[in-house]
Amino acid sequence: MQKKLFAVLSILILASLVLTACGTAAPKDVTLTLGSWRTDDVAAWEAITTAFHAKYPNITVKFDPTNPPDYNATLRSQLETNTGPDLFFVRSFGVGRELFDSGYIASLKDLPGINDTFSAGARAPWATDSGEPYAVPIAAVSHGIFYNKDLFAANGIEVPTTWEDLMAASQKLLDAGVTPFANGTKDAWDINEVVMMQLLPSAVGGYDGRMAYLNGERCFNDPEIVSAFQQIADLRPYVPAGFEATSYADAEQLFAQGKAAMFFDGSWSIGQIKKDATAFQWGVFYPPALKGKDTYVSFHVDAAIGANAASKNLDAAKTFLQWLETPEFAALIGNNLPGFFPMTNEIPSLTDPIANDFMNFNKQAKGVDIRFVWEKLMDAPTDKVNAYTSLNNNVISVLKGEETPEEAANAFNADVAAWYGPASKCK
Amino acid sequence: MSQANLSKNQKPELLNVENRRKLTWVLFLLPALLVYLVFMAGPLFDSLRLSLYTGKGYSPTEFVGLQNYIDLFTVPLWREKFFNAIINTCIFFAIHMTIQNSLGLLFANLLASDFKGRNFFRTLIFTPTTLSVLVVGFLWTLILNPNWGAVNQILTGVGLKQFALPWLGRENLALPVIALTSVWQWIGMPTVMFLAGLTGISEELIEAASIDGASEWEIFWKIKFPLIQPVIGIIAILTFVDNFNAFDVIYAMAGAKGEPAYSADLLATLFYRTGIAGEHPTGIPNMGMGATIATITFLILMSGVLVWLYFSRRNADEK
Repeated sequence: MQKKLFAVLSILILASLVLTACGTAAPKDVTLTLGSWRTDDVAAWEAITTAFHAKYPNITVKFDPTNPPDYNATLRSQLETNTGPDLFFVRSFGVGRELFDSGYIASLKDLPGINDTFSAGARAPWATDSGEPYAVPIAAVSHGIFYNKDLFAANGIEVPTTWEDLMAASQKLLDAGVTPFANGTKDAWDINEVVMMQLLPSAVGGYDGRMAYLNGERCFNDPEIVSAFQQIADLRPYVPAGFEATSYADAEQLFAQGKAAMFFDGSWSIGQIKKDATAFQWGVFYPPALKGKDTYVSFHVDAAIGANAASKNLDAAKTFLQWLETPEFAALIGNNLPGFFPMTNEIPSLTDPIANDFMNFNKQAKGVDIRFVWEKLMDAPTDKVNAYTSLNNNVISVLKGEETPEEAANAFNADVAAWYGPASKCK
Repeated sequence: MSQANLSKNQKPELLNVENRRKLTWVLFLLPALLVYLVFMAGPLFDSLRLSLYTGKGYSPTEFVGLQNYIDLFTVPLWREKFFNAIINTCIFFAIHMTIQNSLGLLFANLLASDFKGRNFFRTLIFTPTTLSVLVVGFLWTLILNPNWGAVNQILTGVGLKQFALPWLGRENLALPVIALTSVWQWIGMPTVMFLAGLTGISEELIEAASIDGASEWEIFWKIKFPLIQPVIGIIAILTFVDNFNAFDVIYAMAGAKGEPAYSADLLATLFYRTGIAGEHPTGIPNMGMGATIATITFLILMSGVLVWLYFSRRNADEK
């Protein structure tokens, strides 16, 4: 019995040795793995990688995503133990940069076409200070307020054009017994990323305004920041009764079931809302600026793909990265993943009407900018609070009524100034 | 002369049947000892070693001595997080210790008496224990949901709308509510152990006491309670160890940050966030500091167990 088992095993081992030998003998056929945090998008990525395979029949790309909250940690442990995927999604700014500085991501300074296909602004989140790129930007996300057209019509409300109009509309809805906004704070991140950071660009004046804070020309508790916190305070009467325990998924359900009229969210939810909100007409608008201010859209760099510097198939990986610059890929990602927008200079026309609405925000707005704290402000030393966490805590306190907008802005400024040089010297 | 003979014979004696039999127990221990060393003691000491290092990622390389420990107790941000987690863990443990274990004792008493459907209730009370913690956490999150959860709908339905609170969203409510969920799930454990202790008490003792005119209450406090004291000790130490390691129920109901505002953050979630997952959205772990928190948790657990061992030994010696 044991001898037989031994014989079978040795045959198997021999066979696998022979087979791998065959594999290396014909180096043309390679399979690349593509790590990602987008577990929801497996079908769409299969369509994209199939299109790539049709063009390059000798290269197969296997999409292999990890649960989003575990992605950064999992990828890091894979790279450290040299078991990382050949290609992987790279986070913007500090997190991705840290992996590049540690030598895990291949430099792309020689990748043909990367400088012509993408603007400097699109490349910057995945490039060193001197402009050396290490990942190809593939997708940006936008933000907006999904709204229930039926409830708006029933209460005689038009899409508002100023923040004051939006608050008046909310009061009207509340008087009619409808919860105006679905958002809550149980999961914490959403009130920060899809509410506060959606209001901030208009409050501070877009990219130029943000740069003024980063350079120390403005303080993080100036009247503009206070006004954004005030907008959060304005929302207090209009969120669900139990908003403290309403999670992001609960909020989406409140909107989809027609219990709440509006939902601050990101463009990535188009597919989910389409699936859930079937009983009424809905659309999307961008939260208007306060009276007298211009609207700036939070159009956030989301994902880029880089190559594992230790990959055995680096050339094939770079072939794939170069293909990501083509209009073919831009159309594939824009149309297979409605709500994710290609970052190429030329944007193909999109088939999804809601996705087009999001794109139109950019055209109508005074300008677009990324999320307020993403660049530089998250790189706090481990013994200090980064701007993301500080902003998040203070936004929740203001919404709960535990802090006034001024107190929140002062606390935010103090947290950032504790470690971010320009903020401590601001005027 | 005879002594010299003896020493000559000593060597072969090691191999004689009698002595070999005495040593065979070592062989039986070896496999378990090996598994223990490789999978328990090894990682434990490696974790202790890791707490002396710093660096980003999963293999910190820079030796810093006790700096992580000093930082944990002196840097305001770390100290605040750490003591918050310790206090929360103590509250979490106190709720289990008082509510879970006294209710367990009560249920065990009820289930020890003879009544119809006794086996049904015995099974019922143990059922939640067999469920996955994540499933229980998810179910209770739904039941407690402020928008469509059963708890608030019932409260509103009977006219107690002012008590229909966002249970998992208030800083003063989240931790006790999650602890009670956990009590609901694990109450079967102390119940079964107390039940075993109570059924082990000889009927004659109880009969004798009742003939002497002792009431039910007196029988419980003067006969049953002293006899199940060893069980109480075991349950107390198990509750202590389980709660100071508790992670999953918090993760399921309040997330890795122990929301809202770290009010449900326990030692284990703090450790997980610091050493393994990193904090959203950067997610860069600090393994050295994580290992430091783990080491201190280990020291707390060990001192608790040592105190228990000391007292249980002393009790045993007295008898």
